[in-house]
Amino acid sequence: MGKILRLSLFNLRKNKKEAAAIVFLTLVSTMMLGIFAINLSKVSNAFDESFAKSGSVDTFISFSENDYRDSYREILEEDYGFEDVRRGNMINGFSTGVLHDGEKIAYNLAFITESENQKIDDGNIIESMTEEQIEALDHWVILPSFFKYNLRYEIGDEFIPVVSGRQYPFTVAGFYNTGLSNESGMLFKIIISNEDYRLLTPVFQEYVFLAFNSDDDFNYRDYFTSCMDESGDSFEGYGFTKEEEKANETKFLNLFLYMSITLSLITFVASIFMVRNKIRSDIEDQMERIGVLEALGYKGKEISLSYVFEYVISSGIGGVIGGIIALAATPFMNNIISVMLGREVVSSAKVYMVLPVVIGVIGLILIFALTKAAMVKKFPPVVAFRRGIRTHNFKRNVLPLEKTGKNINRRLGFKDSIRNIRTGAGVGLCIFLAGTTLLFCMYTFVMFFNGSDGLVKLMGMEISDDVMTINEGVDPYALSEELQEMPEVRMTRVTDTSLSFRVDGQKEGTVFSYEEFTDMEYIVPMEGRYPEHDNEVMISLRRSRTYDLEVGDTIVIDNQGVKTSYIITGIVGAMSNNQMNLYMTLDGFQRANGSAVPNCVEIYLEDGVNREEFEDKLISIYGQSVDTAMSGDNADGTLEERIQAEASEKIAVLMSTYGVTSVDYAVRVGDQLITGNSRQFVMKELQSYHDLVKSQLDPISNITRLFTGAGAIAVGVIVAVILGIIASSNVKKRRKDLGIMKSLGYSSKDLMTQIAISIMPVTVVAVILASAASIIINKVFWFQIFGADIKTSIPVLILTDLALIAFTFVMTYIGAGKIRKISVNELMTE
Amino acid sequence: MGNSILRTEKLCKSFSNGGVQQHVIKNLDMEIREGDFTVIMGSSGSGKSTLLYALSGMDKPSMGKVIFDGTEIQDLSNDELAVFRRGNCGFVFQSIYLLENQTVLDNVLTGALIVQKNSPELVNKAKELLKKVGLNEEVWNKYPSQLSGGEAQRVGIVRAIINDPKILFADEPTGQLNSASSRDVLDIFTDIHKNGQSIVMVTHDLKTALRGTRVLYLRDGGVVGDYRMPNFCEDDIKERRNNLTSFLEDMGW
Ligand SMILES: Nc1ncnc2c1ncn2[C@@H]1O[C@H](COP(=O)(O)OP(=O)(O)OP(=O)(O)O)[C@@H](O)[C@H]1O
Ligand SMILES: [Mg+2]
Repeated sequence: MGKILRLSLFNLRKNKKEAAAIVFLTLVSTMMLGIFAINLSKVSNAFDESFAKSGSVDTFISFSENDYRDSYREILEEDYGFEDVRRGNMINGFSTGVLHDGEKIAYNLAFITESENQKIDDGNIIESMTEEQIEALDHWVILPSFFKYNLRYEIGDEFIPVVSGRQYPFTVAGFYNTGLSNESGMLFKIIISNEDYRLLTPVFQEYVFLAFNSDDDFNYRDYFTSCMDESGDSFEGYGFTKEEEKANETKFLNLFLYMSITLSLITFVASIFMVRNKIRSDIEDQMERIGVLEALGYKGKEISLSYVFEYVISSGIGGVIGGIIALAATPFMNNIISVMLGREVVSSAKVYMVLPVVIGVIGLILIFALTKAAMVKKFPPVVAFRRGIRTHNFKRNVLPLEKTGKNINRRLGFKDSIRNIRTGAGVGLCIFLAGTTLLFCMYTFVMFFNGSDGLVKLMGMEISDDVMTINEGVDPYALSEELQEMPEVRMTRVTDTSLSFRVDGQKEGTVFSYEEFTDMEYIVPMEGRYPEHDNEVMISLRRSRTYDLEVGDTIVIDNQGVKTSYIITGIVGAMSNNQMNLYMTLDGFQRANGSAVPNCVEIYLEDGVNREEFEDKLISIYGQSVDTAMSGDNADGTLEERIQAEASEKIAVLMSTYGVTSVDYAVRVGDQLITGNSRQFVMKELQSYHDLVKSQLDPISNITRLFTGAGAIAVGVIVAVILGIIASSNVKKRRKDLGIMKSLGYSSKDLMTQIAISIMPVTVVAVILASAASIIINKVFWFQIFGADIKTSIPVLILTDLALIAFTFVMTYIGAGKIRKISVNELMTE
Repeated sequence: MGNSILRTEKLCKSFSNGGVQQHVIKNLDMEIREGDFTVIMGSSGSGKSTLLYALSGMDKPSMGKVIFDGTEIQDLSNDELAVFRRGNCGFVFQSIYLLENQTVLDNVLTGALIVQKNSPELVNKAKELLKKVGLNEEVWNKYPSQLSGGEAQRVGIVRAIINDPKILFADEPTGQLNSASSRDVLDIFTDIHKNGQSIVMVTHDLKTALRGTRVLYLRDGGVVGDYRMPNFCEDDIKERRNNLTSFLEDMGW
């Protein structure tokens, strides 16, 4: 045993660089596999632990104050049999802009008092000011942990919701651990004081919530249907469940972990292949030495064991160090998970978690080494002595030099590539895997290069600059035309609030409806055409794939028992909502929902218009709140202002109490004429989905960009290392031939070029296959995740391909640099 | 006597063996003339091969100059040397050193194509030369391991002369061959020398040395004897041998 070990140590010392490369590859694969294996389970656990600690119920449901009926609660208790259903109040501001650090970002916000919040969770404080400090503040908020961990808010920061141009400044007094509603796609539940709650109630809409622990079967959409059936009313409710929360919070993290695992597996496969290839070429290369050893009395078995040891030692070192790094990376990964979830993560990694990975990596290399090294036994010393097992193909001479074109180096390189077809196949596999990964990373990186813009295009909904929701009775078409006249406005469009429709035998879907689908900027059919008639519908790609629907098929919409059928005219990639969107004309929408009146105007601004300023202008013209005006607090100001305020109060009362929709007035005071009208009450809400979409998608696109960028670099490094090993072991194997070539007048550069050229055919084939694979993966991946159809960017593909081929060439060329060290006079000393 | 085509000035070559400097060639001045068949002799380890490789630009001297047809090659970089060797130097090795995975014809062409553009004439020339050394068509597509030693060395010679080098260098070209093959190979050398090829050959072997027109004897890192002979001819072989033997005996061979 001792002498075998000595033999392998001797070999290792002799090939330090290559041993280092194997250590590196096993290190990287163990590290990556280790890190991601540890953390895959941790994501799920981290959420569960944090959720459990929050003491949260697993479901809450909310209805707008006016829609809520007490019978709805009874349904939960009696029909569903849930105990302890707690009723409470909160106010919601959907897509509310929040100023923080001078930046305005929109979120879906819910404000709740401490006591009401107790009905949902324990409101455990993670970090906060002292009682005295809080009391000294005019307005304070306790934010959910997402703001601390993900959005990097700090105690004492300002938190200023902006509603209809008015700022409501708060100071961040602390953060608490919330179970539900800690996710930017859904809702953030924010704790405020009772006084502030009263102040904000007229600003936002008040909601009733029901909080309870449900069971696995509970589906709040079905529940809403039962409610509507019960009362005969129709309404829009919202549900928040632990399962959905978890899926939403962990979706991307898991996605990245799976992608990372794929990347690590690719590294791993490539490394294993490398090692295998190296063992084989080492043995072939050293046949003569093996012969000597055998002649010296080493048994074939001992010699092969020495090889096995050699690789197990180097991969063992790599594996163990990789495992240790994986464990050491725990705080770092915890931090990433914490940021992504917006929750506190404190779990520590245990050695037993990486052990299987380390053992697996070393074990696999051991197996390959054993099988390959068994080759030694096949050769008696004589064979080993005499020319070893140099593989001669006495077959046809492919690419005879007689037919050489202009370039002898190219010819010899190609000849070489055919001769080494086996190594070539392996290199090809590596490049194929690496190339596929690289291409995918590049597509994604480029798509996210300009932040979330790439994703916004996949939403499958129009993202106009502003959406104005109007008060009942206001004519949306007249308003649309009026807005269109403004110089800042490029385009306006009338639409309806997007309601969710039930579809017979299918998942429900959010409906987007327009008078006509012209000049759409985001909703673009990938197949078929826009709906034109009231019996036509366009559906999302996800719906089409899920239910095997094609253009020309029919779906039936079930609006509270009223069934209406529609013909599918087109299909649209859509990642918004539940990816089950429906698109129809306003007429079509009214066919299913007779009571619907379009109540929104989408506004697209001209380039270069400052949106904030424009919004202020809209608010000053259209945006007085009926509620505020009615409460009539108009004691100060000039005479004119006071008169106008008084008039507004009167109009507000007319509108809210008597359903009056349009009022004009003129008052003469002395020789002054004071006029006004009800236009100032046109606007119910002004929202910018642009901001909301950005706030939801920016973190995703940032991390994706970071990740794919890092992935591309990692692939590059691994490819470089592998090519380096291949090239240098190629040089070692052909040392003598290369010396002879040098004596014939071939320079090192000539020979390095030949070696680089020799892997070009296989590289090109692999890159072509990788391109095909990457297109498919890109398509499947984005459909699976977002239900969207991605067209692979051909320029990116071609540029990446060319870059990869050039990179491969250069890396092999550099890797073959050992050739410089071969001196011709070695030939004479033989 | 032809013009001088290769000259050394104070040529030194030393190796460090385990930290100890071994001076193999010391301040050697010599000259090779065009059209000569120069034979370098000396005892084993006297530095014959070392000198040959320094002369031919295969290796760089430690000090001094090697002036090859007017070019001082000692200062060239390795890649420049490689380019320089193309066309200027041909080599024949004791261990033959054919490229194992190239056919006979491709071995020859590998040597040719780095110097000249491919052309039907070039391929024909290669084939002619192969025929001339007695290698017929059926051998051209064989691989080196399918050849006898003598056949292989003949391929080696053709490969070395295909570019019409200014000097053909050979280091014990018959060292691995049996006497019949040796004789064939030497005949080829004699033949190409008669056609005007300058040759510098290292050898141990008296029979081989007899083919030369000049014998340099190497000892203690310097040329200690310089002996001239007329062109080789079978007729006066006895006398030729006696003269050379007595020269070598004087040298302490
Ligand atoms: N690359 C080298 N490194 C170290 N020492 C060397 C090297 N090449 C040659 N030597 C030493 O230089 C001396 C001369 O070697 P060289 O091969 O020139 O002798 P030679 O005259 O050709 O001998 P032989 O007749 O046995 O071929 C020897 O002692 C040898 O050990
Ligand atoms: Mg020698």
